[in-house]
Amino acid sequence: MFRSLRTVALAGAVTVAGASLALGALDTKSAKAEQGGTLIWSIPAAMSLFDPPQSCGWLTKNATHMIFDGLVELELGKPEKGWATLRPALAESWTVSEDGMTYTFNLRKGVKFHDGTPFNAEVAKWNYDRFSNPDAPQYNEVANAYLNFYARWIASTRVVDEHTFEIVLTQPHYEWLQIGQSSCGQPEMISPTAWEIHGDQDIALHPVGTGPFKFVEREIDVMVVLERNDDYYGEPAKLDYMVYRQITDPATRIAALRAGEINMVTEPTWDEIENLVDEGFQLLLQPNVPSVWYAAFNMQHPALQDVRVRKAINMAIDREGVAREVLRGTGKAEHGMLSAGTFAYDPDYNPYPYDPEGAKALLEEAGYGDGLELTFEIFDYGWNEAWEKWMQRDLKKVGIDLKLNKLEWMTYLGKWLQGMPETVAMNSMGWGWSVPYWTAHATRCDHHPPNGINGGWYCNEAVDALYQQAIQTKDQAEATKLYREANRIIMEEDVAFVPVFSYHNPIILAPNVKGFVNGQENWYDYTLPWVEE
Amino acid sequence: MTRFIVMRLLTIVPIMFGVSFFVFILAHLAPGDVTTTLTGPYATEETREQIRESLGLNEPLPVQYGKWLSHILQGEFGKSIANRRMVAELIFPKFANSAILALTSAAMAYVIGLFAGIFAASRPYGYFDRFTIAGTLMFGSIPPYWFGLLLVLLFSLTWRWLPATGMTKIVGGGGPIDVILHLILPTIAAGAAPAAIIARTVRATMLEILSQNYIKVARAKGIRRGVILRKHALRNALPPIATICGLQLGYLLGGVLFVEVIFAWPGIGYQLWQAIQARDIPTIQGASLIIAVAFVLVNLAVDVFNAYTDPKIRISEGVRSR
Repeated sequence: MFRSLRTVALAGAVTVAGASLALGALDTKSAKAEQGGTLIWSIPAAMSLFDPPQSCGWLTKNATHMIFDGLVELELGKPEKGWATLRPALAESWTVSEDGMTYTFNLRKGVKFHDGTPFNAEVAKWNYDRFSNPDAPQYNEVANAYLNFYARWIASTRVVDEHTFEIVLTQPHYEWLQIGQSSCGQPEMISPTAWEIHGDQDIALHPVGTGPFKFVEREIDVMVVLERNDDYYGEPAKLDYMVYRQITDPATRIAALRAGEINMVTEPTWDEIENLVDEGFQLLLQPNVPSVWYAAFNMQHPALQDVRVRKAINMAIDREGVAREVLRGTGKAEHGMLSAGTFAYDPDYNPYPYDPEGAKALLEEAGYGDGLELTFEIFDYGWNEAWEKWMQRDLKKVGIDLKLNKLEWMTYLGKWLQGMPETVAMNSMGWGWSVPYWTAHATRCDHHPPNGINGGWYCNEAVDALYQQAIQTKDQAEATKLYREANRIIMEEDVAFVPVFSYHNPIILAPNVKGFVNGQENWYDYTLPWVEE
Repeated sequence: MTRFIVMRLLTIVPIMFGVSFFVFILAHLAPGDVTTTLTGPYATEETREQIRESLGLNEPLPVQYGKWLSHILQGEFGKSIANRRMVAELIFPKFANSAILALTSAAMAYVIGLFAGIFAASRPYGYFDRFTIAGTLMFGSIPPYWFGLLLVLLFSLTWRWLPATGMTKIVGGGGPIDVILHLILPTIAAGAAPAAIIARTVRATMLEILSQNYIKVARAKGIRRGVILRKHALRNALPPIATICGLQLGYLLGGVLFVEVIFAWPGIGYQLWQAIQARDIPTIQGASLIIAVAFVLVNLAVDVFNAYTDPKIRISEGVRSR
């Protein structure tokens, strides 16, 4: 046994040296003006599978959407816009039928996967069948589970001709196509040839797409290397290489940045941002990232049955203080469940200005003048529960003793997906999509666990009816009115949530990174930047 | 001696059996459901159940343990649930990376610990001894996490002499020199506390032996101090020193998690931590087992070394085994 271990250890050492030498080739292409270089981003956690329909997480999406393309994609190169819209990808155009149920995609001609497999309507259908058609041989139930929020609306798919692909929905839904631009479950195209060769399980280890970057290598929990695809059908990337290097510790990430070993950091520690800017590093912020950080009320909790208690909690929290003191300019106070970065967002909506005295009076009326003890389940996100502690402090001022129950992410996620038991009053989450339908996703009656993420057991059929109308109208102004009315009911009549803030996704870049755009999502367009030597 | 080694090897069997059992049970007792990672937030209970079945997770634990053990005995560690890689492909290179760091750290700790301990004991309460006592107290108490950050601040960010993170440079790196340069700071951070512990143990053991009558007799005979230290004192002090050195190496081989995290060193401890976060049971089991095996084997080597250097141990072991 000892001998075999020693042999493996030596083999491992050789592997390390080999990997390093192979990577040494990375600098052979020197950067030219507005072109080239290697962008090294220190990612804070592990990536998921590199098989888009089975992939989940914003970190993974940052790599997969560069390797793979969908029919459409988000335009993330125009950061000044209030929200991201769709642009052509593998479909050069698309139409929606008058009844809003049939989507017809005109596919690009001459596109090939990185392995040379041609892309056409048959391939598009093969990919869609993989997550939506249980009768297809390539059907994958995990892919279906991840993409359930998107696939549940699909009635059928059809190859019209070699370059025309059609999808029929079960009902009109004008936000459906953009719903697919999420990070947890991605309807992007993989090469059927690669799938045949490697099989359904191992395809994630051999990612072959049509995107602007090609997969080079992945060392699990260490790094991922992509290289520019010079045969890309669109505008080729400027970078030579894109490297995602996993560094879990925030202090180590900043040290690596200062030492010049990486040139991009996201989620920098808030107290370091000003210093880094003073040292010459670039800070990019994006105020329209579609996410809201919130606490969901458990509508089955005995003390929260009284709407006055829920209102009092909303009034007792100084959200502006969170944005100013905790987020230090990297976020904005939020008062509604319609998140920024969507067409229905109302930046001026504020039904509960900070009013601790009013909150106390309401609690008194509700019979909790002598105090109330509540449990708030939160997860470890590396922010040291700073905003949750702020809430705890604010609620203490009005007589509510908020017990923070912090759980490690996987344990939390498992509990969160089951919905809150009666003993838990609130739990936390930060989420959103680039369309306002996400609010429906989090609040619809038929999305109670295990059928969805409405774990606070909120239900109002009148609100659901408003959502239904909103997705069936082509008129975005009309849809905006409907969503805002739904949000008003949720926040002012039913008071089912405590939205707290939106995060502006601060990105720190080395001075020699040029052309980077912090778009309206948690994933970025890596075809735009380059790195000067 | 052969009999001694055989007896020792036989005692490893129940130890490894116990280790494998606890590793298996602990991996399964961790809260959180792996199907959450595998199927995401929208999966139905039916889909989750199918996944559990395909992974054999809904079989009774004793059956799962039996199958796992049987595969391990055939050298099969299974496949990672989280990333689909073969667990062996995942953990052995990471263990090799940890072994590189552990061996250099242990070498540093042994050299510093032995020399500092012996010299301190040779002139008790002199300047060097007082300096050693203070130094070992300080380095034995400094958390490696904080010490690592301090080293990075000084040597990487202030003076720019050494790299701050990783095992090689990502751009333009590679090769033994690059690895050695990346190895220096993590080695110091990981080896400081073991060096201090070894130095204190060596000093205490040597002081005790140097106060024995036979040492006084040797001195009275006029034997030079160097000879007394080397031949009479150190030889008798070796068993406890070897034991503490072995324990420290085992600890380092287990992956000095904090050092690996601070220096982004791709070792087995960090891999195990990531696997725990993902509830990747096959990887948790494989990584824990390989660390436990390393620890047991290092201690076996220490026992053999002690038996070789101290006939009393061989004889007493022989008596017991009869």
